[in-house]
Order: sequence, then structure tokens, then C-alpha cells
Amino acid sequence: MATADTAPARPGARVRLPLRRPEHGRRVAGVALGVAAHLDLPVRTVRLVFVLASLLGGVGVVYYVFLWLTVPAGDPADAARPAVLGRLARRQIDRGTPFRLAGPQVLAGVGLLVVAAVLLAMRAGGTRDLSWVLPLLLLVAGLVLAWSEMGFVQRGRTRGQPGGRVQGILRVVGGLLLAGVGVLLLVTEFTGEGIEPGVLWQATIAAVAVLAGVALVLAPWWLRLVRELGDERAARAREAERADIAAHLHDSVLQTLAIIRARSDEPTEVARMARAQERELREWLYADRPMPGTSVAAALRAVVAEVEDTRTTGEGEAVAIELVVVGDRPPDDGTEALLAATREALVNAVVHGRPPVSLYLEVGDDAVEVFVRDHGDGFRLDDIPTDRFGVRESILGRVRRRGGTATVTSRPERGTEWHLVVPVGPCPGAESPAGASTADEAPSPTTDGTAGGTAAKSATVTERSAGKGER
Amino acid sequence: MSSGQTPTVPVDVVLVDDHNMFRAGVRASLDARVHVVGEAENVDEAVDVIHALRPPVVLLDVHLPGGDGGGGTEVLRRCADLLAETKFLALSVSDAAEDVVGVIRVGARGYVTKAIDGTALSDAVLRVASGDAVFSPRLAGFVLDAFGTAAGDVATGDDELDRLSAREREVMRLIARGYSYREVASELFISIKTVETHVSAVLRKLQLSSRHELTRWAAARRLL
Repeated sequence: MATADTAPARPGARVRLPLRRPEHGRRVAGVALGVAAHLDLPVRTVRLVFVLASLLGGVGVVYYVFLWLTVPAGDPADAARPAVLGRLARRQIDRGTPFRLAGPQVLAGVGLLVVAAVLLAMRAGGTRDLSWVLPLLLLVAGLVLAWSEMGFVQRGRTRGQPGGRVQGILRVVGGLLLAGVGVLLLVTEFTGEGIEPGVLWQATIAAVAVLAGVALVLAPWWLRLVRELGDERAARAREAERADIAAHLHDSVLQTLAIIRARSDEPTEVARMARAQERELREWLYADRPMPGTSVAAALRAVVAEVEDTRTTGEGEAVAIELVVVGDRPPDDGTEALLAATREALVNAVVHGRPPVSLYLEVGDDAVEVFVRDHGDGFRLDDIPTDRFGVRESILGRVRRRGGTATVTSRPERGTEWHLVVPVGPCPGAESPAGASTADEAPSPTTDGTAGGTAAKSATVTERSAGKGER
Repeated sequence: MSSGQTPTVPVDVVLVDDHNMFRAGVRASLDARVHVVGEAENVDEAVDVIHALRPPVVLLDVHLPGGDGGGGTEVLRRCADLLAETKFLALSVSDAAEDVVGVIRVGARGYVTKAIDGTALSDAVLRVASGDAVFSPRLAGFVLDAFGTAAGDVATGDDELDRLSAREREVMRLIARGYSYREVASELFISIKTVETHVSAVLRKLQLSSRHELTRWAAARRLL
């Protein structure tokens, strides 16, 4: 049922997915799930077949284990997709921890079951000779130990654990030793007492020598195989990356260029599209692209993008906002309010101010600060009486409700600068410690902007958070 | 103009960039105070031209073809013998910290983005020619990021390479906020010359500091 979406049921264009063991939705090792996806059958049917076959002398179990060992883990749908279509740089998506069999526990359980069976058998038919059981158990244990390493390598490659290599080699060597001892014991068991220990030693040494000789002969092939595998993997990664870049260029850059050419008589629109494309490309090339909801800086970039795309100056020109970010942290309620206020300040700067518009975000240990600056004639509240309430509420109020401060400094020859501070960290709501840098900060609760006028004096509107401020 | 002096003789500049269109645009936008005496479009050509002409200022693109693939950084390394008389001003479209800080650490005296207009670029050339440093807002942001912004993390003396003094930090923050040198000066009630001194000191620290945090910061961005 869970595989209904991984197995495309398209009539006519029937594409058989490669055999893989999916990590999500598996019950034991994902074999039934993989087979079901491969054969395009309901997974329940496959599981039922395995269970029924297991009743026929354990054929099902043997086949299951065989597939477990031979079929690599992975998503069938991903494996079917050619590398050209695979997007390397897609965002990390946390799909929850995939199901993993608790290996040691299962092994212990199986071992205990076998021991119980042996004990039962000895009790039931004490006359039977059961001395071959111990060597067989040793052999199986060795095999399991060595083979588990194969699965381990497969997983370790994606996880990249340090120290896993030594452990893996130890596992293989231990498994080989165990299996070898088991085989030797079995051989002595079958040949009986007739064989001398000396002959046995000679045979063993001869066998090891032959194995070593064969290994020596085959080593170059093996090395070449490994190297070719690595080369192929690297080539695939390169191809995927190239395809990713090509797809991106085609998706957005070429498309934007085509639109720009078609609308070349609208300079504002062209400038805006070029800026949006530049921003997108920059983020794509240089930003770390963190997961959504983990970075204030990324959220601020989104705000800037939105303002650049939707707002123009009074003359209808698009404005580029220069953004500088220092530090980063996960967003919380305080930074949400800060970003909302920043957006209003940016809109204000773009619409009523004059470019260039600068935006500076600094994330400190106990506060997040934002500076929004434009080069307009100054902040004239008298000219825009309707915006007065909007600015007061949307910028000052938002920040103040989070225990922060908002200051606007406006000087005719130097434009307008908003300074927004929101405290963050373990004790939100504490008196904002930041703001030491604004030497001209005056605690005047007056809100009438006196900057309107021709006098070149500075007006400061400050709103401070008092413990009993308005809610 | 804001560098305080108006030289009668234009400053000679070599322009290194692999895009012909961009070189033409820069040539056209530079004003009379700057004179382009030579151009180069790849690493080897740039090294040859700079050694032959020995200009006071080189406008250097960070991403250049040729040579060993090191781009502008390689040009700077191979011209290290000229650094005393020739100043390099890096010019790039890139936002990446490894490009910006990398080229500063090998000796560039400043970093501006290619979006800069002609007058500002001419100002920057004059400023670099007179021995001062040119910081874009973004470079100032990188500096603050690398040296830390915490108030307790302040240098006690000017000679301390691993920290910024309180004044240097203030200057950096104002530049990051989009202030010009002149505006920084009037904001802090100091002269433009003092601002230039502070910026040059920060540049020196950025070039020479082996500060642990700087190293870690750089390592996290694969600069080292």
C-alpha cells in the first residue's frame, strides 16, 4: 500500500523499476517492498508469497536472505531516474529516520533460537551425533560477521563515519577467521579420526597458498575495477551537477533573458527582472541555502526579494537593496516581529526615500539589530499623514511589543535611517542592552516628527519599551 | 574628491578583466582623474603587463582565466614583488567570502563590486593610489563576521592584530550600514583622514591576523 506511489501504474508506458530495497516503509529489510516495486505488484501479495514459501521447507526465507544480501538498498524511483534529471542541489528534506533493523538484537535472537533448537534436538534424540553443529554455527557466524560489513560499507559511504574503516576491516578479518575455523572443524568432522593433524596442517597451508596465488593474479583486475567504479561515480556526480546548472540556467536565466528582450522598451520592468534574476543566481551560487525556518538571514533575504519585486519609487523605478548580514540564528517570535517591522521600513525607504537603500542585520548574543537606510530628503511625517499611523504601528509598535526599541533618524542631507533592535536569547523581554552605538538616541517619547521643514536639524523619534507599555 | 586631494596628473591604471564589454564599460565610466594605460584579459597577460608598466593602481577582476587557474589571487601572488609600489583594487561580481577575503589576504588594498558607478570607482582608485584601503559594505560585513561583534571582544591597543578596537568596529559597522567615508567621519565627529587610518588598520589586521576565530571562520568557508 505504501508502495502504491513508488510503483507507477501507467498502462502502455510500463517502466520496470530497478530492484532496490527502499529504506522507508520496510518491515524487515525492504526486500518485499523492493520486489513489489520491481514487479509492479501490491506489496501485501509479495509478502504473503514469501511467508507461504517459507512454509515449504524454508525456501522463502532462503530466497529472502539471498535478495537481502544481493540487492542494494536505495530508492527504486531514484535509481530509475537518469542522472541528468537528478537535481543535486535540492534542499535537504528530513523525511524522518528510516526504518533500520536492530542488527545485534536480531542476531542474538536467531542465535538463541538455534541454540534452543539444538538443545531440543539433543534432548529428543540423544543418540544422534550432533558434533557438526558447532562448526556449522561457527561458519555461519563468520559469514554473518563478514557480510554485515558489506551492508555497513554501503551505509557508511553515505554517512561518512570516521573510524568505521578500521572497524570494518576487523569485522572482515574476524569473519574470515571464524568461517575458516568452522570449515576446518567441519572437514575434520567428516573425514573422521583417520586423518593426521600434520596432513591437515599441510592441506591448510596449501589451500591458503593457492588462495593467495589466485588473489595475487586477480589483484590488478580488482584494483582496476575499484578505480573504474570511483571514476564512474565521480563522472556521474559531475554530470548531475552540470545538469543541475543547465536546468537552472534554462529554467530561469534564459527565460528571464527572453522576457527582457521581448519587453526591452520598459526600462523599469527590465531593471526589476534583471535584479530579481541576479538575486536568484547569487543565492544559488553563493548562499549556503539553509533549510527553511532555520535562518534569520535567509528569511531577511526573502523579505528583501519581496520588497524589490513588488515596490517601486514614487517615479516607478525599481530599487536594489544592498544587504549586509553579520551572524545568523534560528528565527523566533522576536525576530519574526523584527523582520515584519524591517519589511515596513524597507517599503517606506523604497517608496518614499531615494536609492541607494542599505539594509544591515547584525545578530548578537543577546539582541538582533537592523539598520535600514535610504538617501531621501528625510522623513517628513507632515507630508504623508496617512502613513504616520502605519509607520508608527507597523514598525514602532511591532518591535516595542517584543521588548525592543525602534529609532528613526532623519537628516535632510543624509537621508533616513531606521534602527530596530529586538532582544533575543535566553531572557527575552529583558531591557535591551544593545543600542550603545546610537549616540544620538534620545529618550523623548514625543512622536510628532519635527523633521519636516527646511531647517537642517536632526529629529529623533524614539519609542522605548517600558514594562507597562501598551500591549 | 573625498580623498582630500585633487591630483593634477591623472592616476595611471591597468585594467584586468576577461570580459571585453566590461573593460569598455569601466574605461568609459572612469572620469578624468584616472587614466587607463594598459589592459589584460588573463592571468599571464596581466602579470606581464603589470611588470612592464608598473602602474600605481591595478583594477583586478577576481575571476580570471589562464595561469594555474588561481584567478586574481594568482596575479597578486605573482606580482608580490611589486606590492610596495603598485596597489591592487579587486573588482568582482562575486559575493562569496572566499573570493573577497582571499584576495585581500594576498595583498589587495580594497574590494568593490562591479555594480559600482564610475565616480565612486574613480574615488576608490584615487584612495587606493594614496595608500588607503577601500571597503565595500559587504567586505565590512565579512570583517565584522570574522572578528566578532561582541562588545567584550575589543582590542586594548592598536597593535593587537587579532581584534578590532572599539573605534574600528564602529567604523566597520557604519560602512556596513552603507555610510560613505565622509558620512562616517561626520557621524563619529572625526576627520576623513582618521576614518581612512582606521580602515587601513582593519585591512592590515585582516591581512596579517592569524586569529583563531578568523581561521575557524575561514575554514568554515573553505578559505584555507
